[in-house]
Amino acid sequence: MSESVITVSALTRRFGARTALASVSLSVPRGGVYGLVGANGAGKTTLIKHILGLLRAESGSVRVFGLDPVADPVGVLSRIGYLSEENDLPGWMRVEELIRYQRAFYPRWDDAYAEELRKAFALDATAKIKTLSKGQKARAGLLIALSYRPELLVLDEPSSGLDPIVRRDILGAVIRTIADEGRTVLFSSHLLEEVEQVADHVTMIANGAIVLSAPLSEIKEAHRVDGRLLSLDEIFVARIGKA
Amino acid sequence: MRSAASAIAWQFRQQHRWGLIAIAGYLFVLAMAKLVIVERAQRINLDVESFAFVVVVPLTATCLYFLSVFSFGLSGDLAARESMYPARMLALPVTTSALAGWPMLYGGGAIAILWFGTRPFAPWPSGVVVPVLWPALLAASLLAWTQALTWMPYPLRGMRVIVTVLWLAAIDAVIMLALDLKASEPVMLAILAPHVPLAYLVARAAVARARRGDVPDWRGRFGSIADVSPRTRDPFPSPARAQLWFEWRQYGRSLPWLVAILLPFELALLFPFSHTPDLIYEMLFVVLFTPPFMAAFVAATAARSGVASSDAYGMPPFIAARPLTNGALIAAKMKSMGWSTLAAWVLIFAATPLALRFSGAAPVVMERMHRLVEVVGMPRAVAIVLLAAALLLASTWKQLVQSLYIGMSGREWVIKASVFAAVTFLAVALPLAVWISGSRKAMAVLFTSFPLIAAVLVFFKLSAAVWIAARLHRRQLLSGRTLIIGAVCWDVAVFALYGLLVWIVPLVLIPSHVLALVAILEVPLARLAAAPLALEWNRHR
Repeated sequence: MSESVITVSALTRRFGARTALASVSLSVPRGGVYGLVGANGAGKTTLIKHILGLLRAESGSVRVFGLDPVADPVGVLSRIGYLSEENDLPGWMRVEELIRYQRAFYPRWDDAYAEELRKAFALDATAKIKTLSKGQKARAGLLIALSYRPELLVLDEPSSGLDPIVRRDILGAVIRTIADEGRTVLFSSHLLEEVEQVADHVTMIANGAIVLSAPLSEIKEAHRVDGRLLSLDEIFVARIGKA
Repeated sequence: MRSAASAIAWQFRQQHRWGLIAIAGYLFVLAMAKLVIVERAQRINLDVESFAFVVVVPLTATCLYFLSVFSFGLSGDLAARESMYPARMLALPVTTSALAGWPMLYGGGAIAILWFGTRPFAPWPSGVVVPVLWPALLAASLLAWTQALTWMPYPLRGMRVIVTVLWLAAIDAVIMLALDLKASEPVMLAILAPHVPLAYLVARAAVARARRGDVPDWRGRFGSIADVSPRTRDPFPSPARAQLWFEWRQYGRSLPWLVAILLPFELALLFPFSHTPDLIYEMLFVVLFTPPFMAAFVAATAARSGVASSDAYGMPPFIAARPLTNGALIAAKMKSMGWSTLAAWVLIFAATPLALRFSGAAPVVMERMHRLVEVVGMPRAVAIVLLAAALLLASTWKQLVQSLYIGMSGREWVIKASVFAAVTFLAVALPLAVWISGSRKAMAVLFTSFPLIAAVLVFFKLSAAVWIAARLHRRQLLSGRTLIIGAVCWDVAVFALYGLLVWIVPLVLIPSHVLALVAILEVPLARLAAAPLALEWNRHR
């Protein structure tokens, strides 16, 4: 069995009276694309924030690379590339300033790869972030999350803001590349078609609880109707409908 | 809700109900204190000015709160170029006149209620004469102008603060002049009457511009200057330097910019009054207190953990996910504020002597300097001037960083409660100070009990510092070495200040142990040390 990059054990989180995560346990093995799917408000972002150490486990535990992300934020965050759904890059920065700033934190930053991505994403180095379109901002966020070739790439709803064609090309290429190199991707989305294209393993969350977690191929095999493999979309509706 | 007017009113009430209830409770307590204590005991015999002060301070504090609430100033970026009128409201199917008019009407109404509700308490029992209408109209005018100028889009970042402060100060100056000339109530009303309608017209134009996304832009004029200068592309030598650069660019330049904009207006006043010593000293006082005063405004922005987050008080993931320790993030903020302080004071130290020289006011100041040298001798005079300069620099930096522990907590309730506590403290402390300064007996009691008060404060300060240091160490936010270095630096600063005070202040007047207590209280410790703890609380919720 391969080594786990992320281990979440019996994690529970409440916000007031609402339970955002209810005793969630999860193990993400090294070297694969791990899809985290669920409806809006299901608890995907809350789980990701625990993995990044931005939320403290109220009960249960979270370990990333065997470390507690709250106790050792530098040890964990220096090995993670993160693209936030909030798209909160500082608007006053130019693209080249963003790259210069970001590279200072990661000794393994690859200048050539960053430049290659910048050109592939058609980002003007002198443009200010606030002048970029939503899709371009997402690309800039992706650029700075990828350019140091992180061991773990965490993408929280990365598709929002990208048009369908670029979304498929870019995400597919990026995620596959990273997975092929033995790196790990944790990819949250409510766009199941996208997840189906790239994920090796899928975890479905509903109302803060995991309702299904297995390799994608096993999930598909287990959900046949009249010999036809159901799409992830159909499986999701069937499972979440029951949850 | 059956109309836009009632929906807007409901929004104000719902969003600020706790603040409004707290104000109502606070005014009720003050009224009860006056009814019960002042009436029964009759021991506090305030003169007219002090009595007015007791009434005016809480009223002013409440008016300031109303200014923030009804201009939507609590939920936006004051320095931004864009209008602070909430964007979601601009899309409501309501006329621009209604969008500008209803908040203005509600604000004016709230201020009128406040005035007419509290005014009857003022003349009784001392018989002090309090105007009937014009203070309410003045407050409503100031609120209306604040709303108009806050909702206006500006061509440059930070311009809103400058324009608003200058315009409100100008209105205030006219009113002070009228009071000086003993203007009657009808005259005051005549002076103030045009303001609300004029402000409404400006506000309507401002909201209309904001609605069509019309934000003037002068940045190109300044940007072209910046583009000429070579842009650094060398990599940062360390993550700490990169973070320092980020803090400087995000927040650090605000104070020098604000000082640079205000300073010419202030120093220009030296030219027409270069032969009036009193006015020269007053202007120099204003100039020297500009950085610490403006620092208080800058601190409100700089102490926020993030402005780009969906949660306005929380920490944006872009910063929270930095592979930096909480201590390093705070250190970058504090260093950036240090550079900000130095830059602001370089401007003051460079421009003021030039203005004194060319305005012809320099001989007046030099004459005062010579007198100081004659009285205390050259070495002490130099030490006093250097100490004053160092204290002004230190107080500017202190203003910028002392509230970090509140802003870094990222909790809206902590931030709002601290503002309320500060206003309440001022509302109580200032009238108390005025009363004490006017009473010989109270002054004597204060003078004799000052060492005890200072010792108690020192005890609390050091206890808090030890508690915070223990938690910083236990949670591994700061290493033992860093804590020891910090403690040694603080000790050195305290001893240096104590040495200077002992040298300058005659020990016959104030004993050396009291000066030691003053030095301990003056050098910041607990609040600064609490900032990494607050950030940890915010970053790992």
